[in-house]
Amino acid sequence: MITIAWMTVREMVRRRFAIAALLGTLVLVALTGWGLQHIHTIHKQHGHALSPLEIRAVTAALVPLIAYLFSFILAFAAIVLGATMLSAEIESGVLLPVLARPISRGAVVVGKALGLSALLCAYAAISGGLEFAVIDAVTGYQPPHPVAAIAALAALAIVMLCLTLAVASRLQTVATSIVAVAGFGVSWIVGIVASFGPVYHNETLLRIGVVSQLLLPSDALWRVAVYQLQPAVLVATFGLSGWPGPFFVLSPPPPAMLAWSAVWVVAVTAIAVRSFAARDV
Amino acid sequence: MPTASASPAIGAVALAKRYGTVTALSDLTLRVERGSIFGFLGANGAGKTTAVKMLLGLVRPTSGTAQVLGAPVGDREARRSIGYLPELFRYPEWLSAREVLAFHASLLGASGTQRARDIDRALAAVGLSPRADDRVATYSKGMQQRLGLGVALLGNPTLVVLDEPTSALDPLGRYDVRALLAGLRERGTTVFLNSHLLTEVELVCDRIAIVKSGRVIASGTREDILGEQRGLRIRAQADGASLHAALAPFGHLTEHSGVLVLPDVAHERTPEIVAALVAARARVYAVEPIVQTLEERFIDLASSP
Repeated sequence: MITIAWMTVREMVRRRFAIAALLGTLVLVALTGWGLQHIHTIHKQHGHALSPLEIRAVTAALVPLIAYLFSFILAFAAIVLGATMLSAEIESGVLLPVLARPISRGAVVVGKALGLSALLCAYAAISGGLEFAVIDAVTGYQPPHPVAAIAALAALAIVMLCLTLAVASRLQTVATSIVAVAGFGVSWIVGIVASFGPVYHNETLLRIGVVSQLLLPSDALWRVAVYQLQPAVLVATFGLSGWPGPFFVLSPPPPAMLAWSAVWVVAVTAIAVRSFAARDV
Repeated sequence: MPTASASPAIGAVALAKRYGTVTALSDLTLRVERGSIFGFLGANGAGKTTAVKMLLGLVRPTSGTAQVLGAPVGDREARRSIGYLPELFRYPEWLSAREVLAFHASLLGASGTQRARDIDRALAAVGLSPRADDRVATYSKGMQQRLGLGVALLGNPTLVVLDEPTSALDPLGRYDVRALLAGLRERGTTVFLNSHLLTEVELVCDRIAIVKSGRVIASGTREDILGEQRGLRIRAQADGASLHAALAPFGHLTEHSGVLVLPDVAHERTPEIVAALVAARARVYAVEPIVQTLEERFIDLASSP
């Protein structure tokens, strides 16, 4: 299992995926820094520039949008890498001589899951750290809990990776990617729809949201990340009137949902292992 | 109950694989003795690769049982002693040959100097030592197949399963592989050779099985499969009808372009026939046995209903 995990990490580094991802991230971080710089040029009606407090308030509203960009990159990276490392390797025949060796199919799936999870976590930490450092340097704004937010985004990527591996244990690369992307998209849309539940006191919408998060906790983890990025004053200000949608979270999913996400990751990995062990290659 | 070492290298009874309504392999029963080179022949789509994958535990049989090296198919410990070259060989292109072998050595649990020696030996055996540190991406298809052979030979396996091992090799490469297989036999390694290259099989295999439509239709030594060889071609001259009269006791006689053919006569009767021709004052230029090649026999068997 460790051999497979190490080989997975090595492949990402040797095939220059890791360096390409870091270079792309540097460009993205530079672009967001350049964009945020323009907040300083915003003038109010009387011609006065924004105060430092107002700049930080505008930035606080924009940070979830930037975080969404990274959550999107992380989720798609998890899907593409998961599909490539399992489905595509079965299709190309690379895995055949490996599976004939004295290792279990479970070790192959878990090894790849561990290797890719480590890379996704490293990417989330590096890209998130860079982005928050640039935001701080340009606007002077620091979100309240950046580390917790990065951890939630990394967990979101791991959830998408596990889903992808479970699907990849049976389907081909393209079909796997389509199913995983559809799962991510549906979970995202249902999360937006469900966010209207508290505003309109609609129990059905609330229940739909919970069921969706239980089936695929990616949206729950996204909402945890957003909540960790929101200053308390923003929640207090907008919380009363309600602000449905994906970029504002009045109350985060309960700790039980976080625990469920951990259980979900273990259970879906177990399904991936069982499914891969039973298939013909 | 036979011990693991006394058991055959491969023993399969009524193995079958069906994908829905399609039967990939039906009723495969075979026995491969330890230390032999076993040729598994069949046309494309006959079920050869499915059989190989079932014996390695990569494909689960729909019915039937099989044992490999005395253990049920797919047994993890038994796989430690099996080397495998797949038909569709592909190795990580971003690694060098040495690194590919090191990865497989790790999967075998090998470490230290023994591991380095094994890798060097495998590289030398397949002629890749000079290019060992080049990336696989820079290899020709033939070199990648050589690497696959090296991977299969790693760790001194008891059983080597080769699925079309020379499909990408030039004649020199095929010659090298034949020499390699002969070396494995000398060391007592069992080789299961899946191929449709009949000359190759004929040259190296101790025993052969021919599979057709997922079923073994002939098996045994080359001689068993060819059966009793019959027929003689005769080039001789004599006056009048004495030649035909001399050969008449030996059965049906035909003539093509001056060559007389006795299609049904046993080869053992050659001295008797020569004596009869000499007695009839014939001038005998040649008497040659008609020998059916494995290829001809295979085509006979494969094309029969």
